[in-house]
Amino acid sequence: MSALDKFLAGWSFRSSTPDYEPGDTIEVMVTGEKGGEATARIGDSILRIEGAPDDAVDTRVLVAVETWDGSTHRGTGTYRETVGGSAF
Amino acid sequence: MGAAGGSKTEPRISFYGGKWASTVPLGFFILWAVFQSGVLGIGDTNGLVIGALIGTILGMFFVRGDWKTYADTIFEGMTQRVAATAIVAWLWAGMFAETLQVGGFVEGLIFAADALNVGAATFPAAAFVLCGLLATGIGTGYGATVAFVTLFFPAGVLIGANPVLLFAAILSGAVFGDNLAPVSDTTIVSAVTQDADIGGVVASRFKYAIVAAVPAFIAYLIMGSVLSGASLEGAAALRDTATAPGLVHLISMGVVIATAVAGRHIVEAISWGLVVAVGFNLALGLSSVSDILVFTVTEAGTFTALPFVAVGDTAGVGGSLYAGAIGFFPLIVLTLLIVSMAQIMIRGGGFAAIQEFLLNSVATTVRRAEVTMVLGTAAINGMITINTAAEIAIAPYIARIGEKFNINGYRRANILDANTSALGYIFPWAGGVLVGYQVMVGPNGLGAEYGPEMVVNPIEVVPYVFHGWFLVIVFLVAAVTGFGREYVPDRTSGEVSRA
Repeated sequence: MSALDKFLAGWSFRSSTPDYEPGDTIEVMVTGEKGGEATARIGDSILRIEGAPDDAVDTRVLVAVETWDGSTHRGTGTYRETVGGSAF
Repeated sequence: MGAAGGSKTEPRISFYGGKWASTVPLGFFILWAVFQSGVLGIGDTNGLVIGALIGTILGMFFVRGDWKTYADTIFEGMTQRVAATAIVAWLWAGMFAETLQVGGFVEGLIFAADALNVGAATFPAAAFVLCGLLATGIGTGYGATVAFVTLFFPAGVLIGANPVLLFAAILSGAVFGDNLAPVSDTTIVSAVTQDADIGGVVASRFKYAIVAAVPAFIAYLIMGSVLSGASLEGAAALRDTATAPGLVHLISMGVVIATAVAGRHIVEAISWGLVVAVGFNLALGLSSVSDILVFTVTEAGTFTALPFVAVGDTAGVGGSLYAGAIGFFPLIVLTLLIVSMAQIMIRGGGFAAIQEFLLNSVATTVRRAEVTMVLGTAAINGMITINTAAEIAIAPYIARIGEKFNINGYRRANILDANTSALGYIFPWAGGVLVGYQVMVGPNGLGAEYGPEMVVNPIEVVPYVFHGWFLVIVFLVAAVTGFGREYVPDRTSGEVSRA
Protein backbone atom coordinates (compact mmCIF):
# COMPACT_ATOMS: atom_id res chain seq x y z
CA MET A 1 0.00 0.00 0.00
CA SER A 2 1.48 3.34 -1.07
CA ALA A 3 1.69 6.34 1.25
CA LEU A 4 -1.09 8.03 -0.72
CA ASP A 5 -3.29 4.93 -0.41
CA LYS A 6 -2.78 5.00 3.36
CA PHE A 7 -4.07 8.57 3.49
CA LEU A 8 -7.05 7.78 1.25
CA ALA A 9 -8.10 4.57 3.04
CA GLY A 10 -11.34 4.76 4.98
CA TRP A 11 -12.84 7.83 3.27
CA SER A 12 -16.22 6.12 3.17
CA PHE A 13 -19.22 5.14 5.28
CA ARG A 14 -18.72 1.49 6.11
CA SER A 15 -21.59 -0.90 6.75
CA SER A 16 -21.96 -2.47 10.18
CA THR A 17 -22.56 -5.78 8.39
CA PRO A 18 -19.65 -6.39 5.98
CA ASP A 19 -20.04 -9.17 3.43
CA TYR A 20 -17.50 -11.56 1.92
CA GLU A 21 -17.37 -13.86 -1.08
CA PRO A 22 -16.80 -17.62 -1.13
CA GLY A 23 -13.17 -18.10 -2.10
CA ASP A 24 -11.93 -15.10 -0.12
CA THR A 25 -9.15 -15.76 2.37
CA ILE A 26 -9.41 -13.26 5.20
CA GLU A 27 -7.60 -12.52 8.45
CA VAL A 28 -9.95 -12.27 11.43
CA MET A 29 -9.88 -12.18 15.18
CA VAL A 30 -11.68 -15.20 16.66
CA THR A 31 -14.20 -13.61 19.01
CA GLY A 32 -16.05 -16.58 20.52
CA GLU A 33 -17.23 -20.13 20.11
CA LYS A 34 -20.63 -21.69 19.64
CA GLY A 35 -21.33 -25.41 19.84
CA GLY A 36 -17.64 -26.18 19.97
CA GLU A 37 -16.97 -24.21 16.78
CA ALA A 38 -15.01 -20.98 16.62
CA THR A 39 -16.79 -17.84 15.46
CA ALA A 40 -15.58 -14.46 14.32
CA ARG A 41 -17.87 -11.49 14.71
CA ILE A 42 -16.93 -8.91 12.07
CA GLY A 43 -18.98 -5.84 12.86
CA ASP A 44 -22.44 -7.37 13.20
CA SER A 45 -21.72 -10.15 10.67
CA ILE A 46 -20.82 -13.65 11.85
CA LEU A 47 -18.35 -16.11 10.33
CA ARG A 48 -18.29 -19.67 11.66
CA ILE A 49 -14.82 -21.22 11.42
CA GLU A 50 -14.40 -24.97 10.99
CA GLY A 51 -11.25 -26.73 12.08
CA ALA A 52 -9.92 -24.00 14.36
CA PRO A 53 -7.82 -24.99 17.41
CA ASP A 54 -9.63 -25.32 20.75
CA ASP A 55 -7.84 -22.26 22.15
CA ALA A 56 -8.47 -20.08 19.12
CA VAL A 57 -10.54 -17.41 20.89
CA ASP A 58 -8.69 -14.07 21.00
CA THR A 59 -6.23 -15.14 18.30
CA ARG A 60 -5.94 -13.80 14.76
CA VAL A 61 -6.35 -16.49 12.13
CA LEU A 62 -6.50 -16.85 8.35
CA VAL A 63 -9.84 -18.26 7.19
CA ALA A 64 -10.92 -19.43 3.74
CA VAL A 65 -14.53 -18.34 3.26
CA GLU A 66 -16.65 -21.27 1.98
CA THR A 67 -20.21 -19.92 2.05
CA TRP A 68 -21.76 -16.49 2.61
CA ASP A 69 -25.39 -15.35 2.84
CA GLY A 70 -25.57 -11.66 2.01
CA SER A 71 -29.11 -11.30 3.41
CA THR A 72 -28.36 -12.59 6.90
CA HIS A 73 -24.66 -11.61 6.83
CA ARG A 74 -23.69 -15.07 8.02
CA GLY A 75 -21.09 -17.38 6.54
CA THR A 76 -18.81 -20.34 7.09
CA GLY A 77 -15.12 -20.84 6.47
CA THR A 78 -12.19 -23.14 7.08
CA TYR A 79 -9.31 -22.41 9.43
CA ARG A 80 -5.96 -22.10 7.65
CA GLU A 81 -3.44 -20.87 10.18
CA THR A 82 -2.95 -18.72 13.26
CA VAL A 83 -1.12 -15.48 12.53
CA GLY A 84 -1.26 -13.54 15.79
CA GLY A 85 -3.00 -12.78 19.05
CA SER A 86 -4.89 -10.10 20.88
CA ALA A 87 -3.28 -6.70 21.38
CA PHE A 88 -3.73 -7.44 25.10
CA MET B 1 1.95 -0.95 29.99
CA GLY B 2 1.63 -0.82 33.70
CA ALA B 3 -2.02 0.07 33.46
CA ALA B 4 -2.73 -2.72 31.08
CA GLY B 5 -1.07 -5.25 33.25
CA GLY B 6 -2.96 -4.02 36.21
CA SER B 7 -6.30 -4.49 34.54
CA LYS B 8 -5.72 -8.19 34.15
CA THR B 9 -4.68 -8.95 37.69
CA GLU B 10 -6.75 -9.26 40.84
CA PRO B 11 -6.94 -6.07 42.91
CA ARG B 12 -3.92 -5.82 45.14
CA ILE B 13 -5.45 -3.22 47.40
CA SER B 14 -8.66 -4.10 49.24
CA PHE B 15 -10.95 -1.23 50.20
CA TYR B 16 -13.82 -0.81 52.62
CA GLY B 17 -16.72 -0.11 50.29
CA GLY B 18 -15.35 -2.37 47.53
CA LYS B 19 -13.39 -1.61 44.40
CA TRP B 20 -15.26 1.62 43.72
CA ALA B 21 -13.63 3.05 46.86
CA SER B 22 -10.36 2.98 44.90
CA THR B 23 -11.72 5.94 42.95
CA VAL B 24 -11.87 8.09 46.13
CA PRO B 25 -8.45 9.81 45.69
CA LEU B 26 -8.99 10.70 42.05
CA GLY B 27 -12.67 11.49 42.57
CA PHE B 28 -11.89 13.80 45.48
CA PHE B 29 -9.16 15.49 43.46
CA ILE B 30 -11.55 16.11 40.53
CA LEU B 31 -14.15 17.61 42.87
CA TRP B 32 -11.43 19.78 44.40
CA ALA B 33 -10.21 20.86 40.95
CA VAL B 34 -13.73 21.73 39.78
CA PHE B 35 -14.46 23.65 43.00
CA GLN B 36 -11.14 25.49 43.00
CA SER B 37 -10.77 26.38 39.33
CA GLY B 38 -14.37 26.14 38.17
CA VAL B 39 -16.44 27.49 41.04
CA LEU B 40 -13.99 29.81 42.79
CA GLY B 41 -12.00 30.69 39.69
CA ILE B 42 -8.64 29.96 41.36
CA GLY B 43 -6.24 28.29 38.94
CA ASP B 44 -3.30 27.95 41.33
CA THR B 45 -1.52 24.70 40.44
CA ASN B 46 -0.06 24.47 43.94
CA GLY B 47 -3.64 24.41 45.24
CA LEU B 48 -4.35 21.38 43.06
CA VAL B 49 -1.26 19.72 44.50
CA ILE B 50 -2.75 20.07 47.98
CA GLY B 51 -6.07 18.68 46.70
CA ALA B 52 -4.24 15.65 45.30
CA LEU B 53 -2.34 15.13 48.55
CA ILE B 54 -5.48 15.28 50.67
CA GLY B 55 -7.32 12.99 48.24
CA THR B 56 -4.49 10.48 48.45
CA ILE B 57 -4.59 10.59 52.26
CA LEU B 58 -8.41 10.23 52.27
CA GLY B 59 -8.22 7.12 50.11
CA MET B 60 -5.88 5.50 52.59
CA PHE B 61 -8.57 5.51 55.29
CA PHE B 62 -10.68 3.20 53.11
CA VAL B 63 -7.92 0.57 52.85
CA ARG B 64 -8.51 -2.76 54.55
CA GLY B 65 -5.54 -4.09 56.46
CA ASP B 66 -1.97 -2.95 55.99
CA TRP B 67 -1.62 0.50 54.45
CA LYS B 68 1.86 -0.33 53.15
CA THR B 69 0.56 -1.68 49.83
CA TYR B 70 -1.35 1.54 49.29
CA ALA B 71 1.77 3.57 50.03
CA ASP B 72 3.86 1.37 47.73
CA THR B 73 1.32 1.92 44.93
CA ILE B 74 1.87 5.67 45.18
CA PHE B 75 5.55 5.09 44.40
CA GLU B 76 4.66 2.58 41.68
CA GLY B 77 2.49 5.16 39.95
CA MET B 78 5.04 7.93 40.24
CA THR B 79 7.79 5.88 38.64
CA GLN B 80 5.83 5.12 35.47
CA ARG B 81 7.57 6.14 32.27
CA VAL B 82 4.55 8.13 31.11
CA ALA B 83 5.03 10.65 33.92
CA ALA B 84 8.73 10.99 33.18
CA THR B 85 8.00 11.56 29.49
CA ALA B 86 5.68 14.45 30.22
CA ILE B 87 8.05 15.98 32.75
CA VAL B 88 11.02 15.89 30.41
CA ALA B 89 8.99 17.45 27.60
CA TRP B 90 7.84 20.27 29.87
CA LEU B 91 11.32 21.06 31.20
CA TRP B 92 12.84 21.24 27.73
CA ALA B 93 9.94 23.14 26.21
CA GLY B 94 9.95 25.57 29.14
CA MET B 95 13.63 26.40 28.68
CA PHE B 96 13.20 26.77 24.93
CA ALA B 97 10.12 28.98 25.12
CA GLU B 98 11.58 31.26 27.79
CA THR B 99 14.80 31.67 25.83
CA LEU B 100 12.84 32.73 22.76
CA GLN B 101 10.93 35.17 24.93
CA VAL B 102 14.03 36.94 26.27
CA GLY B 103 15.25 37.00 22.66
CA GLY B 104 12.46 39.39 21.68
CA PHE B 105 10.28 36.88 19.85
CA VAL B 106 7.06 38.45 21.11
CA GLU B 107 8.15 41.86 19.88
CA GLY B 108 9.01 40.27 16.54
CA LEU B 109 5.60 38.62 16.29
CA ILE B 110 3.83 41.86 17.08
CA PHE B 111 5.89 43.42 14.31
CA ALA B 112 5.02 40.60 11.91
CA ALA B 113 1.34 40.67 12.79
CA ASP B 114 1.26 44.38 12.05
CA ALA B 115 3.25 43.96 8.85
CA LEU B 116 1.10 41.06 7.60
CA ASN B 117 -2.06 42.86 8.65
CA VAL B 118 -3.09 39.98 10.96
CA GLY B 119 -5.54 41.94 13.02
CA ALA B 120 -7.25 41.19 16.28
CA ALA B 121 -10.10 39.35 14.59
CA THR B 122 -7.92 36.94 12.61
CA PHE B 123 -5.24 36.42 15.26
CA PRO B 124 -6.99 33.43 16.97
CA ALA B 125 -7.42 31.61 13.63
CA ALA B 126 -3.75 32.26 12.81
CA ALA B 127 -2.71 31.06 16.28
CA PHE B 128 -4.70 27.84 15.77
CA VAL B 129 -2.93 27.07 12.51
CA LEU B 130 0.55 28.02 13.72
CA CYS B 131 0.26 26.27 17.07
CA GLY B 132 -1.11 23.22 15.26
CA LEU B 133 1.94 23.32 13.02
CA LEU B 134 4.35 23.56 15.93
CA ALA B 135 2.59 20.84 17.92
CA THR B 136 2.61 18.56 14.88
CA GLY B 137 6.31 19.18 14.56
CA ILE B 138 7.43 18.71 18.13
CA GLY B 139 4.81 16.13 19.06
CA THR B 140 3.95 17.61 22.41
CA GLY B 141 0.80 19.65 22.68
CA TYR B 142 1.85 20.71 26.18
CA GLY B 143 5.16 22.03 24.86
CA ALA B 144 3.44 23.85 22.01
CA THR B 145 0.94 25.34 24.47
CA VAL B 146 3.78 26.61 26.64
CA ALA B 147 5.58 28.15 23.68
CA PHE B 148 2.48 29.78 22.23
CA VAL B 149 1.00 31.09 25.48
CA THR B 150 4.41 32.52 26.29
CA LEU B 151 5.06 33.98 22.86
CA PHE B 152 1.94 34.39 20.71
CA PHE B 153 -0.65 34.98 23.39
CA PRO B 154 0.67 38.32 24.73
CA ALA B 155 1.27 39.53 21.19
CA GLY B 156 -2.31 38.75 20.21
CA VAL B 157 -3.85 40.27 23.32
CA LEU B 158 -1.80 43.43 22.88
CA ILE B 159 -3.05 43.68 19.31
CA GLY B 160 -6.61 43.42 20.61
CA ALA B 161 -7.59 39.78 20.24
CA ASN B 162 -9.99 38.32 22.80
CA PRO B 163 -7.80 36.58 25.45
CA VAL B 164 -10.24 33.71 26.09
CA LEU B 165 -10.69 32.92 22.41
CA LEU B 166 -6.96 33.22 21.75
CA PHE B 167 -6.06 30.84 24.59
CA ALA B 168 -8.70 28.40 23.31
CA ALA B 169 -7.32 28.66 19.76
CA ILE B 170 -3.84 27.82 21.04
CA LEU B 171 -5.26 24.82 22.91
CA SER B 172 -7.03 23.74 19.71
CA GLY B 173 -3.73 23.84 17.87
CA ALA B 174 -2.21 21.72 20.60
CA VAL B 175 -5.05 19.20 20.22
CA PHE B 176 -4.42 19.01 16.47
CA GLY B 177 -0.72 18.33 16.90
CA ASP B 178 -1.06 15.98 19.85
CA ASN B 179 -3.54 13.96 17.82
CA LEU B 180 -1.69 13.86 14.51
CA ALA B 181 2.05 14.14 15.21
CA PRO B 182 3.97 10.91 14.62
CA VAL B 183 6.33 11.85 17.46
CA SER B 184 3.51 12.62 19.88
CA ASP B 185 3.52 10.46 23.01
CA THR B 186 -0.23 9.91 22.67
CA THR B 187 0.10 8.91 19.02
CA ILE B 188 2.79 6.41 19.91
CA VAL B 189 0.74 4.95 22.78
CA SER B 190 -2.40 4.71 20.65
CA ALA B 191 -0.59 2.85 17.88
CA VAL B 192 1.51 0.51 19.95
CA THR B 193 -1.33 -0.54 22.28
CA GLN B 194 -3.57 -1.40 19.31
CA ASP B 195 -0.93 -3.37 17.36
CA ALA B 196 -0.76 -0.81 14.59
CA ASP B 197 2.22 0.86 12.93
CA ILE B 198 2.66 4.56 13.73
CA GLY B 199 3.02 5.77 10.14
CA GLY B 200 -0.18 3.99 9.12
CA VAL B 201 -2.01 5.35 12.13
CA VAL B 202 -1.02 8.93 11.32
CA ALA B 203 -2.08 8.52 7.67
CA SER B 204 -5.41 6.95 8.62
CA ARG B 205 -6.20 9.63 11.19
CA PHE B 206 -5.53 12.54 8.85
CA LYS B 207 -9.12 12.39 7.53
CA TYR B 208 -10.66 12.82 10.97
CA ALA B 209 -8.24 15.60 11.91
CA ILE B 210 -8.89 17.64 8.77
CA VAL B 211 -12.68 17.17 8.94
CA ALA B 212 -12.58 18.71 12.44
CA ALA B 213 -9.89 21.33 11.74
CA VAL B 214 -11.53 23.07 8.79
CA PRO B 215 -14.73 24.04 10.63
CA ALA B 216 -12.65 24.90 13.70
CA PHE B 217 -10.59 27.34 11.64
CA ILE B 218 -13.78 28.91 10.25
CA ALA B 219 -15.26 29.13 13.75
CA TYR B 220 -12.18 31.02 15.00
CA LEU B 221 -12.46 33.45 12.09
CA ILE B 222 -16.13 34.08 12.90
CA MET B 223 -15.77 34.28 16.68
CA GLY B 224 -12.67 36.43 16.32
CA SER B 225 -14.91 39.08 14.85
CA VAL B 226 -17.70 38.56 17.37
CA LEU B 227 -15.73 38.60 20.64
CA SER B 228 -14.00 41.82 21.63
CA GLY B 229 -10.50 42.03 23.04
CA ALA B 230 -9.24 43.22 26.41
CA SER B 231 -8.62 46.89 26.99
CA LEU B 232 -4.97 47.23 27.89
CA GLU B 233 -3.59 50.52 28.98
CA GLY B 234 -0.23 51.12 27.44
CA ALA B 235 -0.79 48.57 24.69
CA ALA B 236 -0.14 51.17 22.03
CA ALA B 237 3.14 52.07 23.67
CA LEU B 238 4.15 48.42 23.79
CA ARG B 239 3.29 48.05 20.12
CA ASP B 240 5.68 50.90 19.42
CA THR B 241 8.43 48.71 20.83
CA ALA B 242 7.74 45.99 18.25
CA THR B 243 10.93 45.14 16.40
CA ALA B 244 11.77 42.79 13.57
CA PRO B 245 14.99 41.04 14.75
CA GLY B 246 13.14 38.76 17.19
CA LEU B 247 11.48 37.13 14.20
CA VAL B 248 14.72 35.27 13.65
CA HIS B 249 13.38 32.84 16.25
CA LEU B 250 10.96 31.54 13.64
CA ILE B 251 14.11 29.75 12.50
CA SER B 252 14.68 28.46 16.05
CA MET B 253 11.14 27.05 16.00
CA GLY B 254 11.70 25.72 12.48
CA VAL B 255 14.77 23.84 13.67
CA VAL B 256 12.68 22.11 16.34
CA ILE B 257 9.92 21.22 13.88
CA ALA B 258 12.27 20.02 11.13
CA THR B 259 14.36 17.97 13.53
CA ALA B 260 11.28 16.39 15.11
CA VAL B 261 9.59 15.65 11.77
CA ALA B 262 12.86 14.06 10.66
CA GLY B 263 12.20 11.53 13.40
CA ARG B 264 14.60 12.71 16.09
CA HIS B 265 13.69 12.36 19.76
CA ILE B 266 11.81 15.29 21.24
CA VAL B 267 14.65 15.97 23.70
CA GLU B 268 17.12 16.15 20.84
CA ALA B 269 14.80 18.30 18.71
CA ILE B 270 14.20 20.90 21.40
CA SER B 271 17.85 20.85 22.45
CA TRP B 272 18.90 21.79 18.91
CA GLY B 273 16.29 24.53 18.90
CA LEU B 274 17.64 25.78 22.20
CA VAL B 275 21.21 25.86 20.89
CA VAL B 276 20.11 27.84 17.82
CA ALA B 277 17.98 30.22 19.92
CA VAL B 278 20.83 30.94 22.33
CA GLY B 279 23.15 31.43 19.35
CA PHE B 280 20.80 33.97 17.75
CA ASN B 281 20.26 35.80 21.04
CA LEU B 282 23.98 36.26 21.62
CA ALA B 283 25.09 36.76 18.02
CA LEU B 284 22.42 39.36 17.21
CA GLY B 285 22.46 41.00 20.62
CA LEU B 286 18.82 40.03 21.28
CA SER B 287 19.69 39.20 24.87
CA SER B 288 22.71 39.08 27.11
CA VAL B 289 24.31 35.97 28.53
CA SER B 290 22.88 36.87 31.92
CA ASP B 291 19.36 37.01 30.44
CA ILE B 292 19.81 33.33 29.65
CA LEU B 293 21.74 32.19 32.73
CA VAL B 294 22.97 34.22 35.66
CA PHE B 295 24.52 33.49 39.06
CA THR B 296 23.82 36.45 41.29
CA VAL B 297 26.16 37.10 44.22
CA THR B 298 25.93 39.84 46.83
CA GLU B 299 29.56 40.99 46.69
CA ALA B 300 31.93 41.55 43.77
CA GLY B 301 34.79 39.08 43.50
CA THR B 302 37.01 37.17 41.13
CA PHE B 303 34.18 35.56 39.19
CA THR B 304 31.99 38.62 38.74
CA ALA B 305 33.97 39.45 35.62
CA LEU B 306 32.31 36.48 33.95
CA PRO B 307 29.26 37.37 31.83
CA PHE B 308 27.02 34.93 33.69
CA VAL B 309 27.92 36.12 37.19
CA ALA B 310 26.35 39.34 38.46
CA VAL B 311 26.21 41.33 41.67
CA GLY B 312 22.80 41.90 43.20
CA ASP B 313 20.93 42.35 46.44
CA THR B 314 20.04 38.69 46.79
CA ALA B 315 22.16 35.68 45.92
CA GLY B 316 20.57 33.22 43.54
CA VAL B 317 20.40 31.66 40.10
CA GLY B 318 18.29 33.09 37.29
CA GLY B 319 17.89 33.54 33.55
CA SER B 320 15.60 32.06 30.93
CA LEU B 321 16.86 28.49 31.33
CA TYR B 322 16.22 28.67 35.06
CA ALA B 323 12.85 30.41 34.87
CA GLY B 324 11.62 28.28 31.99
CA ALA B 325 12.32 25.02 33.77
CA ILE B 326 11.38 26.04 37.29
CA GLY B 327 8.03 27.44 36.18
CA PHE B 328 6.82 23.87 35.70
CA PHE B 329 7.88 22.44 39.02
CA PRO B 330 4.37 22.71 40.57
CA LEU B 331 2.84 20.96 37.57
CA ILE B 332 5.47 18.25 37.70
CA VAL B 333 4.60 17.51 41.32
CA LEU B 334 0.90 17.50 40.43
CA THR B 335 1.51 15.10 37.54
CA LEU B 336 3.31 12.64 39.78
CA LEU B 337 0.42 12.71 42.26
CA ILE B 338 -2.26 12.30 39.58
CA VAL B 339 -0.50 9.33 38.02
CA SER B 340 -0.14 7.72 41.44
CA MET B 341 -3.87 8.22 42.17
CA ALA B 342 -4.68 6.54 38.85
CA GLN B 343 -2.45 3.63 39.81
CA ILE B 344 -4.35 3.28 43.11
CA MET B 345 -7.58 3.05 41.09
CA ILE B 346 -6.05 0.36 38.89
CA ARG B 347 -4.68 -1.66 41.80
CA GLY B 348 -7.93 -1.27 43.71
CA GLY B 349 -10.07 -2.67 40.89
CA GLY B 350 -11.89 0.52 39.92
CA PHE B 351 -10.65 0.38 36.37
CA ALA B 352 -11.56 -3.30 35.99
CA ALA B 353 -15.09 -2.51 37.22
CA ILE B 354 -15.45 0.09 34.49
CA GLN B 355 -14.23 -2.43 31.91
CA GLU B 356 -16.80 -5.05 32.96
CA PHE B 357 -19.57 -2.52 32.80
CA LEU B 358 -18.59 -1.41 29.31
CA LEU B 359 -18.25 -4.92 27.88
CA ASN B 360 -21.40 -6.41 29.36
CA SER B 361 -23.93 -3.62 29.43
CA VAL B 362 -23.60 -1.36 26.44
CA ALA B 363 -21.33 -2.71 23.67
CA THR B 364 -23.85 -5.08 22.08
CA THR B 365 -23.52 -4.05 18.39
CA VAL B 366 -20.57 -2.68 16.45
CA ARG B 367 -22.16 0.76 16.39
CA ARG B 368 -22.79 0.73 20.13
CA ALA B 369 -19.31 -0.69 20.69
CA GLU B 370 -17.70 2.22 18.86
CA VAL B 371 -19.88 4.76 20.64
CA THR B 372 -18.89 3.08 23.90
CA MET B 373 -15.22 3.32 22.93
CA VAL B 374 -15.62 7.02 22.14
CA LEU B 375 -17.54 7.87 25.31
CA GLY B 376 -15.45 5.55 27.50
CA THR B 377 -12.24 7.21 26.34
CA ALA B 378 -13.85 10.59 26.92
CA ALA B 379 -14.92 9.67 30.45
CA ILE B 380 -11.49 8.40 31.47
CA ASN B 381 -9.80 11.44 29.97
CA GLY B 382 -12.24 13.65 31.83
CA MET B 383 -11.12 12.04 35.08
CA ILE B 384 -7.39 11.63 34.47
CA THR B 385 -6.19 15.00 33.35
CA ILE B 386 -2.75 14.01 32.14
CA ASN B 387 -3.94 12.64 28.85
CA THR B 388 -1.17 10.18 28.11
CA ALA B 389 -1.76 8.53 31.48
CA ALA B 390 -5.48 8.30 30.74
CA GLU B 391 -4.76 6.85 27.33
CA ILE B 392 -2.57 4.12 28.74
CA ALA B 393 -5.22 3.25 31.30
CA ILE B 394 -8.07 2.94 28.78
CA ALA B 395 -6.04 1.35 25.96
CA PRO B 396 -6.65 -2.29 27.01
CA TYR B 397 -10.41 -1.70 27.09
CA ILE B 398 -10.38 -0.18 23.63
CA ALA B 399 -8.40 -3.16 22.33
CA ARG B 400 -10.71 -5.74 23.88
CA ILE B 401 -13.99 -4.09 22.93
CA GLY B 402 -12.75 -3.36 19.42
CA GLU B 403 -11.38 -6.86 18.84
CA LYS B 404 -14.71 -8.32 19.92
CA PHE B 405 -16.13 -6.78 16.73
CA ASN B 406 -13.00 -7.19 14.56
CA ILE B 407 -12.53 -3.43 14.39
CA ASN B 408 -9.20 -2.69 12.71
CA GLY B 409 -6.25 -1.57 14.84
CA TYR B 410 -5.95 1.71 12.94
CA ARG B 411 -9.56 2.58 13.70
CA ARG B 412 -9.15 1.62 17.37
CA ALA B 413 -6.00 3.72 17.66
CA ASN B 414 -7.77 6.69 16.11
CA ILE B 415 -10.78 6.47 18.43
CA LEU B 416 -8.42 6.13 21.38
CA ASP B 417 -6.25 9.10 20.54
CA ALA B 418 -8.91 11.56 19.35
CA ASN B 419 -10.63 11.89 22.70
CA THR B 420 -7.35 11.61 24.56
CA SER B 421 -5.99 14.55 22.63
CA ALA B 422 -9.19 16.58 22.66
CA LEU B 423 -10.21 16.29 26.29
CA GLY B 424 -6.67 16.83 27.51
CA TYR B 425 -7.09 20.47 26.47
CA ILE B 426 -10.72 21.33 27.19
CA PHE B 427 -11.67 21.03 30.84
CA PRO B 428 -10.29 23.48 33.45
CA TRP B 429 -8.45 20.70 35.27
CA ALA B 430 -6.92 19.23 32.07
CA GLY B 431 -3.14 19.12 31.94
CA GLY B 432 -2.96 21.03 28.66
CA VAL B 433 -5.08 23.88 30.04
CA LEU B 434 -3.09 23.97 33.26
CA VAL B 435 0.30 24.26 31.54
CA GLY B 436 -0.93 27.27 29.59
CA TYR B 437 -2.47 28.78 32.69
CA GLN B 438 0.78 28.19 34.56
CA VAL B 439 2.57 30.41 32.04
CA MET B 440 0.10 33.17 32.86
CA VAL B 441 0.23 32.95 36.64
CA GLY B 442 3.64 31.37 37.30
CA PRO B 443 6.80 33.16 38.47
CA ASN B 444 7.52 35.98 36.03
CA GLY B 445 4.24 35.00 34.35
CA LEU B 446 2.27 37.03 31.87
CA GLY B 447 -0.01 38.39 34.58
CA ALA B 448 2.93 39.74 36.54
CA GLU B 449 4.52 41.20 33.43
CA TYR B 450 1.51 42.68 31.62
CA GLY B 451 -1.36 42.78 34.08
CA PRO B 452 -4.50 40.77 34.92
CA GLU B 453 -5.87 41.07 31.36
CA MET B 454 -3.25 38.48 30.39
CA VAL B 455 -4.70 35.85 32.76
CA VAL B 456 -7.62 33.75 31.52
CA ASN B 457 -9.80 31.76 33.90
CA PRO B 458 -9.45 28.14 32.66
CA ILE B 459 -13.21 27.48 32.88
CA GLU B 460 -13.93 30.26 30.41
CA VAL B 461 -12.07 28.56 27.56
CA VAL B 462 -14.10 25.33 27.70
CA PRO B 463 -16.70 26.20 25.00
CA TYR B 464 -14.13 27.72 22.63
CA VAL B 465 -11.66 24.85 22.19
CA PHE B 466 -13.35 24.23 18.85
CA HIS B 467 -10.99 21.66 17.35
CA GLY B 468 -11.22 19.59 20.52
CA TRP B 469 -15.01 19.60 20.55
CA PHE B 470 -15.27 19.03 16.79
CA LEU B 471 -12.90 16.07 17.04
CA VAL B 472 -15.14 14.47 19.68
CA ILE B 473 -18.21 15.16 17.53
CA VAL B 474 -16.52 13.79 14.39
CA PHE B 475 -15.81 10.51 16.17
CA LEU B 476 -19.30 10.24 17.61
CA VAL B 477 -20.72 10.77 14.12
CA ALA B 478 -18.15 8.36 12.67
CA ALA B 479 -19.15 5.70 15.20
CA VAL B 480 -22.84 6.07 14.35
CA THR B 481 -22.50 6.39 10.57
CA GLY B 482 -19.48 4.12 9.98
CA PHE B 483 -17.38 6.92 8.46
CA GLY B 484 -13.79 5.70 8.31
CA ARG B 485 -14.63 2.34 9.87
CA GLU B 486 -12.29 -0.48 8.91
CA TYR B 487 -12.36 -4.11 9.98
CA VAL B 488 -9.48 -6.45 10.69
CA PRO B 489 -9.92 -8.30 7.35
CA ASP B 490 -9.71 -5.02 5.41
CA ARG B 491 -5.97 -4.60 5.82
CA THR B 492 -3.18 -5.70 8.09
CA SER B 493 -0.94 -3.30 9.96
CA GLY B 494 2.69 -2.81 9.12
CA GLU B 495 5.34 -3.71 11.63
CA VAL B 496 4.75 -1.88 14.89
CA SER B 497 7.56 0.57 15.30
CA ARG B 498 8.17 3.40 17.67
CA ALA B 499 9.46 5.89 15.11
